[in-house]
Amino acid sequence: MVENQAAALAFYTDTLGFKKSKDIPVGEFRWLTVVSPEGYPDVELVLEPNANPAAKAFQEAMFKQGIPLAAFEVDNIEAEANRLRIHGVKFTMDPKQLGPVKLAIFSDTCGNLIQMYQQSEKRA
Amino acid sequence: MIHPELLGRLCRARDLLRNWEDEPLSISAVARTSGLTRFHFIRLFKAVFGETPHQYRLQAQIEKAKHLLILTHFSITEICMGVGFSSLGSFSALFSRRVGMPPSEFRRLYGCESAALERQLPSSLIPGCLSLMAGILDKEQFSRRHSPDDADSV
Repeated sequence: MVENQAAALAFYTDTLGFKKSKDIPVGEFRWLTVVSPEGYPDVELVLEPNANPAAKAFQEAMFKQGIPLAAFEVDNIEAEANRLRIHGVKFTMDPKQLGPVKLAIFSDTCGNLIQMYQQSEKRA
Repeated sequence: MIHPELLGRLCRARDLLRNWEDEPLSISAVARTSGLTRFHFIRLFKAVFGETPHQYRLQAQIEKAKHLLILTHFSITEICMGVGFSSLGSFSALFSRRVGMPPSEFRRLYGCESAALERQLPSSLIPGCLSLMAGILDKEQFSRRHSPDDADSV
């Protein structure tokens, strides 16, 4: 859920590296999705407006608690974190080993915390 | 890295920006409540929330005005003053720029008796995944939802 769909599209494509998939105007809002260029093309992330008061309350509460609303796997978390920091992205958790995964949490500038993680050993 | 405690203070500052009643708003005062200098506060706020405290405040005022336009019968001047603007001209100009139409047009389009009675926004302004898709599937129904008389239909 995002505060401003245009700003969200810019962040998720220019900064995070997703590719725009669907962009269909629906009244006041857009059905806006992005996909990972390295992932399954039929798994899409919807950048949904948070204009529903219930959605906004949920989103703000989760943010306050420091809980991410989505998680994405990366191959090299340290390199990704450094790349994002150069773009000015703020982390609420720097890459940290927790059991079998290394994970980090950052703010997506749209009202959400997002987690990324790297598996220590890639399964064959 | 932003410590969880600082993240909490930034969230409280955001609430304060949204709910600030005494005009004019002092960004420095809000910054002090989160224990940061004005400069550091503005930079950090923008990096975390994507817009400056001032931009966030303006958007919050516009959102409040949208609700009042739909849910109350206050005049546009009263709403302008009520959300903290002192000039009707600058309020209308900002509203038009951010919403895409002037306040009077917004009220004409979305305001209706049932919304005011139920104190609930019309469904066309409350998105949800499935209702968004339903809008695509049923264009005719969607355009009907835009007429003020039918704005409360699902």
